[in-house]
Amino acid sequence: MAVVKLKGVSRYFPVGNKPITALDKVDLTLERGEFVVLRGASGSGKSTLLNLIGAMDDPNEGEVFIHGKALSSLSDKQKSQLRSHYIGFIFQSFNLIPVLTALENVQYPLSLQRIANNEAKDRAAQALAQVGLADFIHRRPNQLSGGQMQRVAIARALVTKPDIILADEPTANLDSETSKQIMDLLGSLNRETGVTFLFATHHDFVLSRASRILELKDGHIVKDEQLQNLNLVDQIASGEKVG
Amino acid sequence: MLRLKLALLNVLRNGRRSFITLLAIQFGVISLILMGGFFASMYEGMREGVIRSQLGHIQIYQQGFNQFGSQQPEEYLIDAEVLQKVTKLVEELEQVELVTPRLNFTGLLTDGSRSLAVVVEGINPEKEALLSSAVKLTAGEDLFEEDTDGALIGDGLFKSLNLSVGASLTLMATTADGSFDARDVTAIGAISTGTREVDNRFMRMNLQHAQELMYTEGVTRLVVLLNDTKHTDEVMALLSEVFQEQGLALELRSWNDLADYYHEVVNLFDGIFFVVQIIVLAIVLLGIVNTMVMAVMERTQEIGTIRAIGGTRGEVMGLFISEAFILGLIGSVLGVIFSILLAQGITAASIMMPTPPGSSQNYPIRIFTEADLLWKNGLFGLLIAVISSIYPAVKASRMVITKALRFA
Repeated sequence: MAVVKLKGVSRYFPVGNKPITALDKVDLTLERGEFVVLRGASGSGKSTLLNLIGAMDDPNEGEVFIHGKALSSLSDKQKSQLRSHYIGFIFQSFNLIPVLTALENVQYPLSLQRIANNEAKDRAAQALAQVGLADFIHRRPNQLSGGQMQRVAIARALVTKPDIILADEPTANLDSETSKQIMDLLGSLNRETGVTFLFATHHDFVLSRASRILELKDGHIVKDEQLQNLNLVDQIASGEKVG
Repeated sequence: MLRLKLALLNVLRNGRRSFITLLAIQFGVISLILMGGFFASMYEGMREGVIRSQLGHIQIYQQGFNQFGSQQPEEYLIDAEVLQKVTKLVEELEQVELVTPRLNFTGLLTDGSRSLAVVVEGINPEKEALLSSAVKLTAGEDLFEEDTDGALIGDGLFKSLNLSVGASLTLMATTADGSFDARDVTAIGAISTGTREVDNRFMRMNLQHAQELMYTEGVTRLVVLLNDTKHTDEVMALLSEVFQEQGLALELRSWNDLADYYHEVVNLFDGIFFVVQIIVLAIVLLGIVNTMVMAVMERTQEIGTIRAIGGTRGEVMGLFISEAFILGLIGSVLGVIFSILLAQGITAASIMMPTPPGSSQNYPIRIFTEADLLWKNGLFGLLIAVISSIYPAVKASRMVITKALRFA
């Protein structure tokens, strides 16, 4: 089953008296294990698409399905639970809670799922170790560099073992070297865990790591290119062990 | 656990704002405890004043006195035999401090040139000295049993007749058998009951002297003083039962039934206290709502993040309400502690209040800090803090996630 499916999705925003079309009758399917890069100029609809897939916004037309569930049929609480269990988010400005340590920031989504404190701590520590921050777990965000903060955010997105991770310009606030390190990390996590990644980005170096490239223009997908340089999707399709 | 820790850390996050919120809660709690404690002390002072100057805790009358006694008081006197029996029965109760008889009648007091209508009370001086501890001697000496013709004159009456200690007066009254008689009395002192109207036409004399003037061995009432006001209802019930068993045709009235003025004052001040509570509530509520709304605005992006990573609206609401609960708890506890210290300081300072209307004595400010008052107002502070957080919490929980995430 597809992780994400969009059928004829449109989204308009009123600007003055006229509605501006952010997405226009978009059809899209994302499969498990894909590493998808979403490209497009500013205002092309990238963030709107991520918000709709992330169950944080509702389309004016069409339907979004996550794991076969139509989002329009879910209540606000059910959408929160769906985000909690199936979707991970990585933000451009990291969005860590400043009063919590790295460990607590990663533990927090698990506490929202009412997972016992000790288990949540163990899983958060493992996730931080996975992103190379085992020695920084007790630091607050203001004691970490930009790259380290984004790694904490990645660990927070991964810790709930979601089916898809949505990232809106995750490297926009990082220098090029750190950006490459972060993308390498995400690529390896994609291969290790089989989780689907969908990125909105301007950076071209990301393209070499993608299994699929989507290009948006004026609310339409104008390019949908499957790349063969990563064979993760094929591995999953053929039933080989991932990670 | 982590969610509670997050709430606590958020409280500590902006120290100045939390401090202002704590001040608002403490202001509310302290204001209400001090005012409530002051009113409670005033109520107690008034209550014990009327009990220990005029009413006692319980009064015992001949049956029918309260209905018909004002027209024919001589028909409703307790006779000497019943008086002796009842006194013995009442004195046997452990809650009773003393029981004393009084003979009340109206008369005309004259100094030879002027005459004034007076309310006379024949008393047992020794027992009355214990019962009427709130009656203050303002001139001369107290009344003793050997002062057969001595009288204590109400302070206002003493002044209006321009009397001096030792002045000779004549008291005229209608006797129990309906004739008219007079006795010479000597003004040995002036007294204040604390109520100006009473002091303007009141006098006390030895019971035996009063009985001789009235040609009776009976008394109007027996006044019972208990060792604690809280026993009043219990002793009333006990005496009713005993009198019924003994076949005594008597009726009882407690201070609560007789102190109309006290109840009027209590009702008036309770009304004032209620209005003050509403004003304090409004001030504290607006203060806390304001600071909580600021906290919500500052943390808009954080709220969006919590919602994005799976936090429900209830989770966001719970976070802000938890923060208010923590602030309310700390503010209320500190408010209660400061209230106790302030109350003790103010009481120790013995600041005198001006003489209240209708009263003839001033009194020092005392502030009671009874457990009941403390916990109720502490809880009030906590509830106000939580209630104040509901609007900001709802506002936070209703934020559009995508807009909140874009908020910088």
